[in-house]
Amino acid sequence: MKAGDIFSYAFGGIRLRKLRAGLTTLGVVIGIAAIVALLSITQGLQTTITRQLQTGLATDTLIVTAGRGLGAGMGGGFGGGDSGFTLLISDTQTIDALQNVETSFAIIQRTGYIQSGNNTRSTTIVGVDFAKYLSIYTSTFVAESGDIPLNPENGTVVVGKLVSAPWRNETVLFSANDSIKLLWPNATARPPRNETYAGHVAAVLKEVGGFGLGGPSDSSVYIPISQAESFFGTNECESIVVKLTNGDKATIDSVSKAISDAFDGEVSAISATAVLNLLSNVFSIIQLFLGGIAAISLLVAGIGIMNIMIVSLMERTREIGILKALGMKSRTVLLIFLCESVIIGLIGAFVGIASGWGLANVVAVFLGRGGGFMGGNQAAGTGGMTITPLLTPLVFLGALAFGVGVSVIFAIYPAWRASKLKPVEALRYE
Amino acid sequence: MTAIVEAVNLEKTYMLGKVTVNALRGVNLKVDKGDFVSILGPSGSGKSTLLNLIGALDKPTGGKLLVEGTDVSALNDNQLTDLRRRIGFVFQFFNLIPRITARENVELSMSIAGVSKSERRRRAEEVLDTVGLKERINHKPTELSGGEQQRVAIARALANDPKFFLMDEPTGNIDSKNANEIIDLVKKLNEERSVTVIMVTHDQHLAAQTKRIVQMFDGVIVKEIVT
Repeated sequence: MKAGDIFSYAFGGIRLRKLRAGLTTLGVVIGIAAIVALLSITQGLQTTITRQLQTGLATDTLIVTAGRGLGAGMGGGFGGGDSGFTLLISDTQTIDALQNVETSFAIIQRTGYIQSGNNTRSTTIVGVDFAKYLSIYTSTFVAESGDIPLNPENGTVVVGKLVSAPWRNETVLFSANDSIKLLWPNATARPPRNETYAGHVAAVLKEVGGFGLGGPSDSSVYIPISQAESFFGTNECESIVVKLTNGDKATIDSVSKAISDAFDGEVSAISATAVLNLLSNVFSIIQLFLGGIAAISLLVAGIGIMNIMIVSLMERTREIGILKALGMKSRTVLLIFLCESVIIGLIGAFVGIASGWGLANVVAVFLGRGGGFMGGNQAAGTGGMTITPLLTPLVFLGALAFGVGVSVIFAIYPAWRASKLKPVEALRYE
Repeated sequence: MTAIVEAVNLEKTYMLGKVTVNALRGVNLKVDKGDFVSILGPSGSGKSTLLNLIGALDKPTGGKLLVEGTDVSALNDNQLTDLRRRIGFVFQFFNLIPRITARENVELSMSIAGVSKSERRRRAEEVLDTVGLKERINHKPTELSGGEQQRVAIARALANDPKFFLMDEPTGNIDSKNANEIIDLVKKLNEERSVTVIMVTHDQHLAAQTKRIVQMFDGVIVKEIVT
């Protein structure tokens, strides 16, 4: 029997049982739609977040923090014991002496408050060397108004865009040359008291967007490192940013190791690239997880297909007997049944991909309207994040193959049983 | 001349639950080209079993069955299937596919045999015309009378230019007027086109119209009458 004839005979069988075939197909549609919707949203989210992280990202820098291992370096503190080791501001001298290091500087970071009128607003107070900070974050540590002094005098403050205009409207709390008062709750003093830093705004930064991975953030204020030392009363720092002579992987690896060795393994150095890779891994896991959940629904659809095919097989036993008496080969009977499942799988997959894609776009619009997936608090500095769902060719083809594959796999058993029917018995079947 | 069908000491045993049934116990039969044989016998005499064996729907358990000189018991499933394509089956319950039209039913047997679409169409119209159903070719089986359905089945059997016709109680499910028309049609095909016919029936009157009557009882042939 010719392939075209097998196909049209199988299609005729489906057409006769429209409602049943429709419901069976619906199972596949739902499964595929769930997979496509979840994966395209996750991929869209990944692209958006990666792009935000890459804003002003310097690939030839390392960030050194106290603690062992990448996990500790990320601030999580899991893996590796806490030995109480802390980085000192003067440790930059040790790092500067290493090969392939161009320069390095320390960052002191505390949660504090800005006093504006009778209100206080919480912020992150960051102490850095302005000149070195600018040399690394050339595109993001940029003044929108005022000037960033390279040799700042005492009391200089540079504020992020969202500190100046937290609601993104005409209400501006601080402009360049305004005086500003920062408070830091000193919990180790007896009695505990708020330390005060009175200064003036030298510059308001251009809006950075993104999360500011190691770099400037829209919701922080910046003060000279020497001032931060006396303000916070410390010679310890949270992290040291290291600028390398180049961004090659070999350089990154060798300097990371050299730094770790220099501090007897008590610090870890991670590169921005490593963070991006880590993020990409996390997203892979999320995709696998979500895809797996969606795949379960497709599995259920597969069992539905098998169920329907077995019922159909019983109904059509006599028909199969006739076909075999007319000289149809067992293999052809098998192919007819498999062909029916391929048709159901194909229709289900295409409709499923289309509806999944539609669903993803609807969800994306809702997420976008909610003012970003982080909860919509714009002052928190996430920015209005729009997610554009991504339907990659891989997801498209994968969904198609998966839909058809599941349909066919679950049809194999009924089809095989149909093909094995003995003509004499099948003809006698009522 | 080689016989079209030749059974030599043919035996068929099968299990019905735990009981062994000797359906055929040494049948000897020879059918030549152009013959019109009726196999007569009460139910349980083994006539349907014999028909299934000759029709390559089942395999014998003993003896020999030659179709045009080929031993059927030596064939594998695929070869049996190929053989069935050249046998014109006509069943008591017509066994048409209900969801497709008369013409499509006739075309189906040819499509199984791999005949091209245009040739199928031409030949289907030709054989349906032969059985007198030219006006009804686009009707589905449910829209046809029993007699008409059996004519479609005969047309379907004719389509692949069969070696012989194998009919199982062809008039058993239709009224006597239509039954006569059917048997006249088969007689005409036998006389004018030398179509060889082997027909199973328990109807004496029907058997009397064939060239030869083979009487079966309890798995063996007990009497042969040339009319």
